[in-house]
Amino acid sequence: MTTFSVLALLLFLAMWAVGGKQGAIAFVSLGVNFALLFLTIVLVQFHLPPLPVTLVAGTIILAVTIFFGNDDDNSTTTAFYASVIVMLLLLLFIVPVEHWAQVAGFGDEDSEDLEGMSLYIGISFLKVEICTVVLSTLGAIAEAAMAISSGLSEIEMQQPTITGKRLFGDGLNVGKQIIGTTFNTLFFGFFGGFLSLFIWFVGLRYSIGEVFNDKVFVAELLMVLLSFIGVLITVPMTAAVASWRWHRQSQQSQKKPIVTKVDADE
Amino acid sequence: MNVKPKHSANWWVTLVCVLFGGLLVLGVAYDAPIYQRPIAKITNVRNERPVKQQDEFENQDATVHQRINAVLINTIHKGQKITLSNTYSRSGAMDQPYRVGNQVFISKLTRGQQSNIKGPKRDTVVALLTWIVISLLFIFMRSAGFMALLSVGLNAVLFFLAINIDLSLKNGNVFVIFSLISVAFAALTLWLVLGWSRQTVITLTATLSGTALAILISLIVFALTHERGMHYEGLQYVTTLPRPLFLAETLIGSLGAVMDESTDIVATLFELQAERPDVSRNQLFLSGRNVGRSIMGPLINVLFLIFVADTFPLTLLYLKNGNNWGYTYMMNMSMGVIQSLISGLGIVLAIPVASFVASRLMKKKVMTDDNL
Repeated sequence: MTTFSVLALLLFLAMWAVGGKQGAIAFVSLGVNFALLFLTIVLVQFHLPPLPVTLVAGTIILAVTIFFGNDDDNSTTTAFYASVIVMLLLLLFIVPVEHWAQVAGFGDEDSEDLEGMSLYIGISFLKVEICTVVLSTLGAIAEAAMAISSGLSEIEMQQPTITGKRLFGDGLNVGKQIIGTTFNTLFFGFFGGFLSLFIWFVGLRYSIGEVFNDKVFVAELLMVLLSFIGVLITVPMTAAVASWRWHRQSQQSQKKPIVTKVDADE
Repeated sequence: MNVKPKHSANWWVTLVCVLFGGLLVLGVAYDAPIYQRPIAKITNVRNERPVKQQDEFENQDATVHQRINAVLINTIHKGQKITLSNTYSRSGAMDQPYRVGNQVFISKLTRGQQSNIKGPKRDTVVALLTWIVISLLFIFMRSAGFMALLSVGLNAVLFFLAINIDLSLKNGNVFVIFSLISVAFAALTLWLVLGWSRQTVITLTATLSGTALAILISLIVFALTHERGMHYEGLQYVTTLPRPLFLAETLIGSLGAVMDESTDIVATLFELQAERPDVSRNQLFLSGRNVGRSIMGPLINVLFLIFVADTFPLTLLYLKNGNNWGYTYMMNMSMGVIQSLISGLGIVLAIPVASFVASRLMKKKVMTDDNL
């Protein structure tokens, strides 16, 4: 057996043992997300426009990450709406930033990997870079949206008379509690992957000026910063979506007092 | 209502900080004089007719040659007018078009020879985005934002120190060094987020044991499977032994996520115990597991998307160069996937570990409370 298959099997068993059925479904979500990522690349390879492909794939990835392995309908729906809106908003940031920064494609440090390859492939690496950034931030956005919406749905259950406005404020408060650890998840997640690049820089004595203008480094740093921005927008956005849905629900139940909460949801 | 004046004063401080930061960004846009390398600002660009390119894999592309006029904006030659040239392709894998107003680094001026463009100046966009992140942090998160920023900043400094230590030890093992540094990373971060309390110690214990357990299991799997199907040649930017480097990358990569999760679990259990002091150890353990299992899926996906999406451009290039899916996956994505699996193990194993450690160590305190 290969190392991959043994590790995958162990991860599945561990997730199943700890999370039961919910854990097993969460494991499946990893596989589905991988298939979606690979499919995106294949579709881009066949010259489909990268951005629309990524947005469709991104929406499905968000749905898979949020709905697989979570049972609470109310909080998952809120998190999904909020994270799709954040993805679109973040795109408005990413497109101009990537155009301006000119970090698409490969840098001098990649030369060895590119030896003997044809670089003129006829697909804009700028667009590919934009897709890469969008996809790499989705996990963090989904996770933050879930953390806030499940916190808020807990509050909704405990205080059924709470106003939408108060709920929004509570959402920001939950955001304050998670922001420190979320930033660290992203920081370590990204910087762990680029440890070798940093060893390269320090080993070859790049100056600070060289590092902060280096294509590969700036590309990576922008990814981290854009993920931070994504998470930061996610907090008020999820709070806003939750408070809007709560407001609408309470209005509907006022008009038709017999309607149960579940019906009002639809 | 007494709070209100203080509140608006806080807003003023935030506003002043944000505006001051904006000025700093503007400063970076005009910081060319502090660079030793010559920088030129492009004043005029003439594009020549596109030239069609076709490679052996029948990829269609086009290249455009640009004739560029520019003026030097730093060094002793400041103000001198120069001509430059550039060729860019439509795909732009290692080249890019330049436009009027771009600032570019150029090679040293030598008499009678044209300078080459080394690359665009990118520090302004970094400064701008950093400023946006910090501003948003202060506006939405107030003091919590400051702590988040501080922990990321201090970790970045530690990270840099660790790399320096690693390089100064000629025969040091990257993995061993970064394992030790990870303890410092985790302790520092949790201390900043939670303060110094029993809760911090429990969270730290859970984080370190969960991560260590995942790495240990992976090492055993590596040994048993003889690392079949692991392609270290697929790793990028490798200048030292690839195996310890890979392990160190995986360790650092998962540390933040495991900390995130342990913090959530332990915090919830402390809250639960405060509300219901009579809760049993067993119940605490089960509640911890409940908290953990709803967050583990999204957390593993966070790392998975970071590790795998990053390989997107190179994967595309491999496919476009006539490689089949299997070889392309093996060379580009397989190591990222294995990294995600190991991190995933860390994230999952931290759940029972955190629940167990918390339920045991917390109860001790309660018993002494009961005795009082």
